[in-house]
Amino acid sequence: MDEPQRHRILMVSDFFYPNFGGVESHIYYLSQCLIKLGHKVVVTTHAYGNRSGVRYMTGGLKVYYIPWRPFLMQNTLPTFYGTLPIIRTILIRERISVVHGHQAFSTLCHEALMHARTMGYKAVFTDHSLYRFADVGSIHMNKVLQFTLADIDQAICVSHTSKENTVLRSGIDPEKVFVIPNAVDTAMFTPAPKRLCYDEIVIVVISRLVYRKGADLLVEVIPEVCRLNPNVRFVIGGDGLKRVRLEEMREKYSLQDRVEMLGAVPHAQVRSVLVSGHIFLNSSLTEAFCIAILEAASCGLLTVSTRVGGVPEVLPDDMIVLAEPTPVDMTRAIKEAIEMLPNINPQAMHDRVKKLYSWQDVAKRTEVVYDRALLCSDVSLLQRLPRYLKCGPWAGKLFCLVMMINFWLWQLLQFWQPSKSIEEVPDILILENEDNEICGKLRMP
Amino acid sequence: MESEAKKSSGKHKWRKVAYGGMQPGYDDNYTDDSFLEGMVMNANVVKRDLFKVMLDSVSISQYLCIAALVVIVWIQTLHSVIDEISLLSLDAGLLGLGFLIILLTTSQLSFHLFLHYLMKISFFISGLYILAPVYHTLTRSISSDSIWALSVSLLLIHLFLHDFSGYTIRPPGAKNNPTLASNISLNASIIASVLIASRLPSRLHVFALMLFSLQVFLFAPLVTFCIKKYSFWLHLWFSFILMSMTLSIIFVMHRMLFVLLLALIVFISIVCPYWLIQIQEYKFEINGPWDEAKLCFEITE
Repeated sequence: MDEPQRHRILMVSDFFYPNFGGVESHIYYLSQCLIKLGHKVVVTTHAYGNRSGVRYMTGGLKVYYIPWRPFLMQNTLPTFYGTLPIIRTILIRERISVVHGHQAFSTLCHEALMHARTMGYKAVFTDHSLYRFADVGSIHMNKVLQFTLADIDQAICVSHTSKENTVLRSGIDPEKVFVIPNAVDTAMFTPAPKRLCYDEIVIVVISRLVYRKGADLLVEVIPEVCRLNPNVRFVIGGDGLKRVRLEEMREKYSLQDRVEMLGAVPHAQVRSVLVSGHIFLNSSLTEAFCIAILEAASCGLLTVSTRVGGVPEVLPDDMIVLAEPTPVDMTRAIKEAIEMLPNINPQAMHDRVKKLYSWQDVAKRTEVVYDRALLCSDVSLLQRLPRYLKCGPWAGKLFCLVMMINFWLWQLLQFWQPSKSIEEVPDILILENEDNEICGKLRMP
Repeated sequence: MESEAKKSSGKHKWRKVAYGGMQPGYDDNYTDDSFLEGMVMNANVVKRDLFKVMLDSVSISQYLCIAALVVIVWIQTLHSVIDEISLLSLDAGLLGLGFLIILLTTSQLSFHLFLHYLMKISFFISGLYILAPVYHTLTRSISSDSIWALSVSLLLIHLFLHDFSGYTIRPPGAKNNPTLASNISLNASIIASVLIASRLPSRLHVFALMLFSLQVFLFAPLVTFCIKKYSFWLHLWFSFILMSMTLSIIFVMHRMLFVLLLALIVFISIVCPYWLIQIQEYKFEINGPWDEAKLCFEITE
């Protein structure tokens, strides 16, 4: 019993490589670290372009790109039962013990968790974003989340604010929700080898230029900061609907030589853009965690950010300057940051981030969640149905119906293609020997 | 587990932070007493007053009566009770009255504006006159039953989507444009009037009836809006006179319809406001730190 349990984990989300973003890198790094801890991890996502079928990534991470096309914002068409056969096959083939879904607006994640529960697997869910309660879209999304979380074993949120939000949205027991933040690959985001001089101060912005990321706030803040501080220059990386507005602002105030627009920055080049600046500016209007801040801090930049969502929890107060999302307060915060700048040592900042965040730590804490999930008792369909009934007078009955149909479809599949007829795959053990060469070794079940 | 956490709280206090790994003495699923401290409930809820809601609902009853009056005119013209000459003089009278009200209630009273309106109206009337023969023969191959059914449903759509608080054409000096729903509503009413007009015996009839319906559907909301903006009491008086007029005309014409309309007005101006106040207590609004920040300035595209 003392030997740590080896889990066999299936990560499910619509969002994975070749797409790039917070969720994608979270799944990738978490999987890598879990593999290093001796667990087996398989990732399932939908097909991206002609990338369909089974692929392997670094460290023998197996990825199933299931042949479903995305239809809207990289999401698969919600069909409820369409993915049951293939998810069932993957679960049996890989002898999975825990299914871990990511991101509340991934349809594939919700469907896979539903199938996993129907088939009696343990289910864990990670919520990466914040939702409101008032608009029509959010109300429906929250109902879907309630459905998924009604019968989940454990849930994970990326910040305490996100936990509050998730608990309110789904009515789940707070004791079941763990807070495990994102982390940053500090080896990838290192500060510039030479300290930059402070004659000219460069403020870096890297984000999608859209409303939610506060691009409109930038339009108001940048001219004011440039007017007050003649030695400040801006570098803006990113693309989006609001890019035109920023370019208009640059023309209007004749700031062409002080505001540089880079367009979309590939993830591999983010570090080189970051290290060219002194201050990182984040103007998001809503954010559950914000990995960008961590990447900037790891590169030794001082961060100025809006005080929204989970952002205040990300860094200690002396590493970040927070401001209300108004142009006046943002300008004040940037001024404060410029004054703080001479006392900031990028290398020391990097070392602190290294201590504060690591994916290994995230993986270890997630391991605990899996252990807890496995401790939850197995329950039959009849015992689970009341949990769905509690979701609401109409929705509850609808959810029950959905689950019952799923159960019958599963029984039908069991009859049509018994589990025994599905071949289990042997595990590949990736061993790193002294010469750091990777060699594969087959281990039969 | 909470008791365990409390024991160790002497050494280390739990903080609402995400950095620094797992906090010593606390599990990741530890729920602090400060959990949901930032939540605010029903912060922006407006307390509604029954009397005020009832007064506001007068606008709806008023417009309902206007629509009922239009339908009465349609029916009487179809039954040849009203001839084309009296219909035309009704048009002229309404046009003059409407103009007078707008000019009196709008502060920007100027000769230029008056001329501007006059030009538009004359274009409109001559266009309608030229098109009248087309409207006259438009639906000749369609049976009267279908036309009636279609007109009734279009009118219902019109009433359902009508913007009772605003206007369907922009009054002078107003900032916002009418909404999409109110545009659809206006179009539905215009099609209904075209359909009804196409059943009439002569071109002059068609022209007179079309002019009447368009005047009412296009300009009545504007006139009532101007009156309401000018003086709320005038608006109330005007509405009550209009309602009693409509009810008395319908009382003479058809008892059953009278009862129906009366019931509808009572429902709209007494039952519905009471209902609205009653369901207010189910209002549940949550705000907190997870909300998307609102920008405090106007975005000029």
